[in-house]
Amino acid sequence: MAQGDNPHDLDEAEFRATVHSFEFWFEAVEGYLHGRPYGVSPGLQDIELSERQRQGLIMTLCNYCVGETAALDASSGMIGFAPDRGAKIFLATQVVDEGRHLEVLLHRMKQLGVADPDAEIAQRANRSLLKFKDRLLDFVDARDWEASVFAQNVILECLEFTVFRHHAGTADPVTAEMLRGIVSDERRHMGFGENDLGRRLLTAPHTHDRLCKIKRELDSLVLDTFAETMGELGIEHDDRPDLAGDYLAAVARLGFGA
Amino acid sequence: MADFLSNYSIQKWLESCPQGYLEDTVYGHGVDEREPEDLLQNEAYREQQIRTTVQLIAGERCALAASSGLVNAAPDQASKTFLATQTLDEGRHVEIFTQRLYDLGVKPIDLESTIKAYVNPHLGKFAEVLLEKIDKKDFVAGVVGQNIVLEGMAFSVFEMLHAGAETSNPKFARTLSGTIADERRHVGFGENRIGELIRRYPEKKPEVQRMQRDMTKHMLATFHEAFARNGGPTEARASAPQKGKPGPTYQGLNLAEASNEDMEEALSATVLKEFKTRLGRIGLDYQSPV
Repeated sequence: MAQGDNPHDLDEAEFRATVHSFEFWFEAVEGYLHGRPYGVSPGLQDIELSERQRQGLIMTLCNYCVGETAALDASSGMIGFAPDRGAKIFLATQVVDEGRHLEVLLHRMKQLGVADPDAEIAQRANRSLLKFKDRLLDFVDARDWEASVFAQNVILECLEFTVFRHHAGTADPVTAEMLRGIVSDERRHMGFGENDLGRRLLTAPHTHDRLCKIKRELDSLVLDTFAETMGELGIEHDDRPDLAGDYLAAVARLGFGA
Repeated sequence: MADFLSNYSIQKWLESCPQGYLEDTVYGHGVDEREPEDLLQNEAYREQQIRTTVQLIAGERCALAASSGLVNAAPDQASKTFLATQTLDEGRHVEIFTQRLYDLGVKPIDLESTIKAYVNPHLGKFAEVLLEKIDKKDFVAGVVGQNIVLEGMAFSVFEMLHAGAETSNPKFARTLSGTIADERRHVGFGENRIGELIRRYPEKKPEVQRMQRDMTKHMLATFHEAFARNGGPTEARASAPQKGKPGPTYQGLNLAEASNEDMEEALSATVLKEFKTRLGRIGLDYQSPV
């Protein structure tokens, strides 16, 4: 795509070829990653966290790493059975995005004094999130394209989008900037899922029922993840943000309401 | 291991590749660079370039399938993140060589039929051997097959094509120089990461060496067919723009004047020499397919 061209002026096939390309990805990420090693501006000062805050942040980051590892394993596995070249190349860009998310989260954990992030993640990972990861990778192992795109690019991305966006609004400045960069990527990934499944649903409306069944199963794991994590963080019921409501609304905006 | 792998982080990749040697490029070449007009007007030469580009796409599709398939099989997070960058590198290569087919006049609707018509069948067999290991999530064999054998072959082929295009087709040469830089990084990872794993799992050696032998057999058959049977690059080059000019050279050969047999021999000898060196570095003995 020539510089300055608006992809929305293109016909559908050209639009998809453009927005699924390496070129488009690079132009998109360049704006918010250039000059920000590990997703953070070099001059940004870290603030001092209390031990309780530090421990809470480490536990939260451990669970983000579980989600991002699931997304990395799933998006890379999906390339092998993606239906066309554009989808394969888009997923290749998503693989690097997910790998980068994992890398910046681990880097942040090291800044917080975690010597062995792998051990920390194994110890603190949320059970419902691990179950979600297993279900997602089941779909990928079965080479089930519709279920994989739905579980990954709709459900998991909406979960991460909701949580990261909310957390970025309350986090310390370094974590907040890092999370805002991740959220920008998640928007692109959700757009791919919405576009791909939207086209499929037009030609195969019965798919909707199948995806809604998968949604019911995965929703319960997502909502359990929220509840368990906030419980482990010691957040009182009255003080808990409505992550479940925000998540369900985000999924509904992509065309998958209750 | 941790220090070596930190050199293959996504942050390093972002700084050196998209924000480094790919800065200000479009599909891997300069914004104003085009395929030479005399190539586009010369039907035999254009067809030969389409045939060559099809082989590059087939090889890169295999590399994309292999590197993405290895992410899930990687035993540690640092290897996963390196393979994530390699996955996108290979995806980019598929994209830029596909774009080159379009620049050579192939219509998007004819892409798959063009690839089917021109792809070398031995290259398909070469890919099958590797992808069988990937399907089994065999990380050690997969990385040797992908990052030593496939990438080693691609590296030498790209270098030869780059030597041929440097003066006659700066656009294609620029595209190739970016892919060569990527391949160098991939081969480096393979050598460094797998050497340690081969030492840890010496029982894997015979199986990995058998795979290398089979892949080498199909690679040499690919070269033979490309140079000797599949369209005859000499005839195409006879009317190509560089004919009669002093350069370009590869391994001492004048590429504009050399016979197909001489070129096949030079390329095969170069790749096999590289294989022996690189396999030796990771503790494997090169297995001749003969």
